[in-house]
Amino acid sequence: MPKRTDIKSILIIGSGPIVIGQACEFDYSGTQACQVLREEGYRIILINSNPATIMTDPELADATYIEPITPEMVEEIIKKERPDVILPTMGGQTALNIAVALAERGVLAKYGVELIGAKLEAIKKAEDRELFKEAMDRIGLHSARGGFVNTLDEAVKMTEEVGFPIIIRPSFTLGGTGGGTAYNIEEFREKVLHGLTSSPIQQVLIEESVIGWKEFELEVMRDLKDNVVIICSIENFDPMGVHTGDSITVAPAQTLTDKEYQAMRDAAKKIIREIGVETGGSNIQFAVNPSDGRMIVIEMNPRVSRSSALASKATGFPIAKIAAKLAVGYTLDEIPNDITKLTPASFEPTIDYCVVKIPRWDFEKFKGVDDTLGVQMKSVGEAMAIGRTFKESFQKALRSLEQGRFGLGADGKDELDVRAMNDVERKEWRRRVLDRLKIPKPGNIFYLRYAFQLGCSIEELFKVTKIDPWFLHNIWQIVELEEELYSYRV
Amino acid sequence: MKQSKISHRIPSKVSPELLRQAKEFGFSDRQLAHIWGTSEKIVRGMRKQHGVVPVYKTVDTCAAEFEAHTPYHYSTYERENESKRSERKKVIILGGGPNRIGQGIEFDYCCVHGVYALDEEGIETMMINCNPETVSTDYDTTDKLYFEPLTLEDVLNICEHEQPFGVIVSFGGQTPLKIAKALEENGVRILGTSPEGIDLAEDRERFGALLRKLNIPHPKYGTAYSVNNAVLVAEQISFPVLVRPSYVLGGRAMEICYNGDAVREYMKKAVDVSPDYPVLIDRFLEDAFEYDVDCVSDGKDVVIGGVMEHIEEAGIHSGDSACVLPPFMISQKNLDEIIGYTVKLAKALKVVGLMNVQFAMKDGVVYVLEVNPRASRTVPFVSKATGLPLAKIAAKVMVGKTLEELGLKGYDFRKVKHISVKEAVFPFNKFPRVPVFLGPEMRSTGEVMGISENFGAAVAKAQMGAGNTLPVEGRVFISVNESDKTEFTLGIARDLVGLGFSLVATEGTQSFLNQSGVECGHVFKVNEGRPNVVDMVKNGEIQLIINTPLGENSRYDEFAIGRSALENKVSFITTLSAAATAVKGIAKQKEGTLGIRSVQEYLKNIDT
Repeated sequence: MPKRTDIKSILIIGSGPIVIGQACEFDYSGTQACQVLREEGYRIILINSNPATIMTDPELADATYIEPITPEMVEEIIKKERPDVILPTMGGQTALNIAVALAERGVLAKYGVELIGAKLEAIKKAEDRELFKEAMDRIGLHSARGGFVNTLDEAVKMTEEVGFPIIIRPSFTLGGTGGGTAYNIEEFREKVLHGLTSSPIQQVLIEESVIGWKEFELEVMRDLKDNVVIICSIENFDPMGVHTGDSITVAPAQTLTDKEYQAMRDAAKKIIREIGVETGGSNIQFAVNPSDGRMIVIEMNPRVSRSSALASKATGFPIAKIAAKLAVGYTLDEIPNDITKLTPASFEPTIDYCVVKIPRWDFEKFKGVDDTLGVQMKSVGEAMAIGRTFKESFQKALRSLEQGRFGLGADGKDELDVRAMNDVERKEWRRRVLDRLKIPKPGNIFYLRYAFQLGCSIEELFKVTKIDPWFLHNIWQIVELEEELYSYRV
Repeated sequence: MKQSKISHRIPSKVSPELLRQAKEFGFSDRQLAHIWGTSEKIVRGMRKQHGVVPVYKTVDTCAAEFEAHTPYHYSTYERENESKRSERKKVIILGGGPNRIGQGIEFDYCCVHGVYALDEEGIETMMINCNPETVSTDYDTTDKLYFEPLTLEDVLNICEHEQPFGVIVSFGGQTPLKIAKALEENGVRILGTSPEGIDLAEDRERFGALLRKLNIPHPKYGTAYSVNNAVLVAEQISFPVLVRPSYVLGGRAMEICYNGDAVREYMKKAVDVSPDYPVLIDRFLEDAFEYDVDCVSDGKDVVIGGVMEHIEEAGIHSGDSACVLPPFMISQKNLDEIIGYTVKLAKALKVVGLMNVQFAMKDGVVYVLEVNPRASRTVPFVSKATGLPLAKIAAKVMVGKTLEELGLKGYDFRKVKHISVKEAVFPFNKFPRVPVFLGPEMRSTGEVMGISENFGAAVAKAQMGAGNTLPVEGRVFISVNESDKTEFTLGIARDLVGLGFSLVATEGTQSFLNQSGVECGHVFKVNEGRPNVVDMVKNGEIQLIINTPLGENSRYDEFAIGRSALENKVSFITTLSAAATAVKGIAKQKEGTLGIRSVQEYLKNIDT
């Protein structure tokens, strides 16, 4: 299908200020979208309140509005500029929320503006967890037990069916703001109340805890001819219970069997079709129970996301750019791959290296902050590294973080010097290190090294952390090599 | 934490195979040096001697099945190098690395603009960065992208492979600056202001001497090496003082101290002071107005991009303060001084490229607080407000263009008439137990901009963009500390009443307002009785909160009020200057629509 000629102008909504959970990845996607759609000859109208972005450079759009991203302001822009369509999938949750608000207020109908990239129905089906659950049931995929509540009473009633620990996720919030995990009824009440206030529609999802399960993401794209490609698989080093944005992630997935991976791919294709994202990229999250392999669907983002930026950089496949082209009618087989020029975008990327992303936190700036990692994202940035093996990329990523570390310890900045400890100290520290590793916190990664130095086994550490033994084995290998290297000390 | 003496012993028994394996496992030279008790330099030498050097592979989407055209590379320790060096003149721009508080997207913006500018000059551009969220790490942005850590080892490896004409270190924030000197020592040409010039601006003693030589006022400062010494130094400087450690470990914050006890307290709980790690003490100019200037110099001429006035008074980190361009309350004399000092400093520091200067004005005297001869956080804001692409101009100047050649000699920033307001955005909603008051430590994660022909409308838009839409009617809760019970506060209260708001306050502020003839209702503090101020916030009975911090004694109250405001999305203002500004915004908002206009339209107006 060639590009649409019935549209002349496109309004792109940016993501506004950088906040935790929504950072400059949307400058990257918005910039790509502006560039590619302008090359296609469309008039580009842009709104973003963030002046620090490349996308708000006057050269990148025909009309750039550095104005607050509110439904009222966007309506004024629509009234003045009369765009034919709105592309709301490049500006994160902010842009999607505005698109929904404009549709619901009748603004889109009033001015005859169409949503491209994701239709209202698809956005709602993906974002409304109740509709999403029903959709998953229809196509025979599992999702976590639980349901939606609007009051504390309803929530308390649901605890019987779900059983502790319970995850509380407020609806329609950024980066899971106001969410949490409750291990007892008292904590549960407190977190439900906090969740209800955080949610713009005073709704929270009460869900069975899948803490400790393995977590995966697939980046998927679909076009109007119903071609679906999987761009990249991403595996979370930290198990379920830690927000993806706070988790070390690895691409491609390292610990799935081919059978499991194929099942996940099939599920992803079913999901994007059922939700009805006709054109563009989506990110789908899965959890796999390490003890029996049961796979459930966690959620789907019907838009370009933080993970899409990572997947783009990890594979070289420009997801935002291709998504923008799909939104105006091209199909995957019509778009050439920039890198090879020979293959079309319908070729799935293959990668012969390993990519590791590690988040960066800035807790020391916030006195009294709780630095435990959970379902609400707390990191402010991230570094990515590429290498031939997990071990190489992992250590490169650690030194990329610029927190004065030059790899997995052994850099003069270690909190513990295990080599200098006597037996009594070692015994004591072994207990303390294992204790510390029970709770996900920044810096735990260095404690894995101490744990191995103190003689802990992979099995023992898996029990405590639920980090997949494959990853633990790799870390153990790094620690072992360090020991060998140490024997050459002069 | 002192660093032990670096040894230069050579671990000669290490075999090339083991060295290679260590590199394949991702060990850095720094780690190997630490493990073997030697220096990074020795390890590097050993590696090169054994031929253990990285090769660059290509990210090609197809595992080398098809030929790749886009040069996007990463290093690894294998045999075949896929990154071919061209014969073109090339410049490497070092990126900013992972985002963090204080170093965000602004620096990526500068890097990308640097790339665009050098591209226009026909130079082959290369980017080194490791942040996957950014535009600078899009392989489309540059001629060549190296997705690599920004450490000395990794950057030097690339420089040795590419043999660039030069490297730009002044666009990526602190990250590349940290390795600038070492790069230079290793024979890499640093483009723009020399590391020596950068160092001069950062070294207190040398910079202080320079300011005195140039006859530019600066706040008194001193250095303390012990607890007792600190109090003495502070007394000599006279209170209030700003205290901060010279060596920041674990983010020990700076603090403003009003007396010797506070200094002693700070020293005890916050710092391990020692002769090696002294504490820096500066005179704090209370209630001063602050200004930021971004400029470009080619070593001969200086172009001022813009002068910004902070909305919050001194004592609040410039990254956390709202600011307005052009400045709205400054005398012609002071503005001329600011410009004069900026030009003098740029010349004295031999700046080639960007420079940011922070000024304070108190009682009609302009002081220089800080100079950074590099890209600052405000460069994109100034560029958007004025249409002058500062980072691009700087990049061109760094490769030898003069401002005159670029047609910028005589550029007058005063021709920009519309008003741009920048407001910071904070992550307090993610951190429930963190106090929401602003201070000298930066905590914002991002920023928004409001533009209008009118100051009030620009303020209202900036607040709206930051998710803090100002109310146009309802009730305002006011609570100010003793030193804020002034005519200025009364003015704000009267204006609010004039705009149709009713006021409530707790006892102290209420009696102050009532005695001055401003009608104001009473509300209980959190512990005094019910319903209290938090109840009112929760019930939606308060639409705006103006609360200046009262110190330790009422911390509990302020904390509870701050949290309830956040949860109920009630605008919460913690400084009087911000409150006065908000009043202007509210007034404009009450008039009706704030209006919209595209950046292109604003820029067209400047030029015509």
